[in-house]
Amino acid sequence: MPGHRTKGFCASAAALVLCTMLAGCGGSGESVGGGKVVLRYTWWGNPDRAERTEQAVALFEKQHPNIQVQTSFSAYEAYKQKLATQAAGGDAPDVMQLDYRQIDQYASGGVLLDLDKEKAVLRTGEIDAGLLATGRLDDTQYAIPQGRGTETVAYDVKAWKASGVPLPGRSWTWSEWADAMRALAEKTGKPGATDPGQSEDCFEVWLRGQGKSLYTKDGGLGFTADDLTRWWTFTDRLRREGAVSPAEQTTQLDGSVENTPLGRGEATADSNWDAPASGFLALIPSGVALPPMPSGEDGTPGQYFKPSMFLGVGAGTGHPKEAAQLVDFLINDAQAAKILGATRGIPVNESIRERTESQLKDFDKTIADYQASLEGSLKAPPQAPPSGDNALQATFQRDYDQVSYERMSPREAAENYVTEAKAELRS
Amino acid sequence: MTTTDIPAPAARKPAATTAPKRRPKRESQGPAWVFLSPWVLGAIVLTLLPMAVSLYLSFTDYDLFNPPRWVGLRNYVQMFTEDPRYWRSVMTTLTYVVIAVPLQLALALAVALALKSMKRGKGFYRSAFYAPSLLGASMSIALVWRAVFNDGGTVDNLLGTGGWVNKPGWALLAVALLTVWQFGAPMVIFLAGLQQIPGELYEAAAVDGAGKWRQFVSVTVPMLSPVLFFNLVLQTIQAFQVFTPAFAIGAGKGGPADSTLVYTLYLYDRGFVASHMGYASAMAWVLLIVIGAVTAVLFRTSRSWVFYASEGDR
Repeated sequence: MPGHRTKGFCASAAALVLCTMLAGCGGSGESVGGGKVVLRYTWWGNPDRAERTEQAVALFEKQHPNIQVQTSFSAYEAYKQKLATQAAGGDAPDVMQLDYRQIDQYASGGVLLDLDKEKAVLRTGEIDAGLLATGRLDDTQYAIPQGRGTETVAYDVKAWKASGVPLPGRSWTWSEWADAMRALAEKTGKPGATDPGQSEDCFEVWLRGQGKSLYTKDGGLGFTADDLTRWWTFTDRLRREGAVSPAEQTTQLDGSVENTPLGRGEATADSNWDAPASGFLALIPSGVALPPMPSGEDGTPGQYFKPSMFLGVGAGTGHPKEAAQLVDFLINDAQAAKILGATRGIPVNESIRERTESQLKDFDKTIADYQASLEGSLKAPPQAPPSGDNALQATFQRDYDQVSYERMSPREAAENYVTEAKAELRS
Repeated sequence: MTTTDIPAPAARKPAATTAPKRRPKRESQGPAWVFLSPWVLGAIVLTLLPMAVSLYLSFTDYDLFNPPRWVGLRNYVQMFTEDPRYWRSVMTTLTYVVIAVPLQLALALAVALALKSMKRGKGFYRSAFYAPSLLGASMSIALVWRAVFNDGGTVDNLLGTGGWVNKPGWALLAVALLTVWQFGAPMVIFLAGLQQIPGELYEAAAVDGAGKWRQFVSVTVPMLSPVLFFNLVLQTIQAFQVFTPAFAIGAGKGGPADSTLVYTLYLYDRGFVASHMGYASAMAWVLLIVIGAVTAVLFRTSRSWVFYASEGDR
């Protein structure tokens, strides 16, 4: 039946063509909208940062009519997981925001583009050499620091004043901090602050206040189970006293300010990085102040200036030049800097920093003043954490959960953590 | 998800293939293959190939970024002998299965029985009870669930529970309840099964003086046992693979204090949070084998309690 066969073949051929077309539609999607270059730019942050980033990106698109930028953002924890998945699938975004903890793993895993190749459009001359070097690995610039940040004890000014407890001064030790939290809890009837026991960052500050560090120079563990036991015993006691948040609240932390006890109106203070603390303003309109983190008992500061975050370009991007242009714009463009303010930390471009520091408004100014007050008093930052640290941050929080839910003693949990950390850092 | 897992009844063989001893003029298989190709390709590229790769990865150390490194059985050894969290996730999953599956089936059967004897509005209630099964697998419902059972959420306000999702002893129950609530799919199947039971059996039983309960035990349950078995197997397999509700309710971490760390969540944690894809692959294969074994055991026990009406004819 030749006729029949022909018909069959026609139909099947048509089906095949359809399939190919459908498959084609799902493809790269590079030149949507009349030959425009489309860049994907992803980052983590809060709504405040989102609004400003969108404005800056709109300006970039206006200046570069041939480029369209698709942005997406989420809270830190979710972002970290999504980016890891994308990167592993060879589908890393063209431009991505990176954390200090991710640099080592992403650069050595071949996810990031060597930015020296795009020197022509990406200027780094006005960034402090030491700060710029934090984005280098094996003498290759894989990422550009985007801002400078440090930790702080953000607090609700109105609530603290109302409690009658003396406001924090320009420095305090961990025991003074603990006393203040106890006093706050007593006066306000709710915990003074977020339980810092779950935070590897807070632990690092505490550790550095005693002259120790999270990691050794060769990427091993810089502390012992005894150190961690002492830290968790300290925070666990505060939790039992009600001076810091109960386990039920602490476990809800996901890196967003909205889910901190302070953001939820369940506490008076919170330990956070200074830049994201701007997110508290939307939740606590009466005002937030930024005193420094507690220091060691002898006054040794534990906190440090850290490159708050980086921008990197995906090694597999189809448009390295355009991606580098976007990075350059976000870091070196004066107008962009004005829009972005200090939402990702104080700008790294020296001349922009000098020019904009006086123009900073509102909370951006609070952050700039806070950093200025610490200038010269802090110790040098540690080198970028080893790859395994990325996972250990979550482990730290989880192991402390076992303590705060009273399923393990601080010693048991600390020993658990140290065992797991050693295995993680070895592999 | 729920409905797609139900195996389609075996297609009736076309009459042409049963009778002839010699093939009529060879018909070209070309068009058939062309039409099938998307599915054949799909099966190979999207199912078989990834499975093969995953099996390979399970014998390697692979951090997603650097090339996999062959480590032989190390992942499996580590899993069984050196990883307390692995065993915790196994126990959590088993607890979950034991809570969720019987509760869900009991509820599905109860509602199916109620609907069967209902005179009016059957269609409405059937849809209403089925709706959660359609919605329930989604992340958004899981998040709503989290809000409902959270500290300060609806349940807290009504019962003063203080929020189940933040209590290690209660969080898993919140996860299980979300699954139980999605009893629509087994309910519809029960309903179909109930309607198959011949009315004469009940009449005969009634004549013999059996009350409602007696009828249920002696007529409904045995007649329904194949359907019950079918639902039990399906729901058990699904329960072993629970992920979305645990992910949402445990805030992506299996929290609080690992109390909702079900197997697949730990697998995800190892693979995508800790970047140990080799280990995660090994976990996936163990899960596959365990589910296979559990299903086999269920089939074995079914011989003693599942009654097929056709058996009487033999």
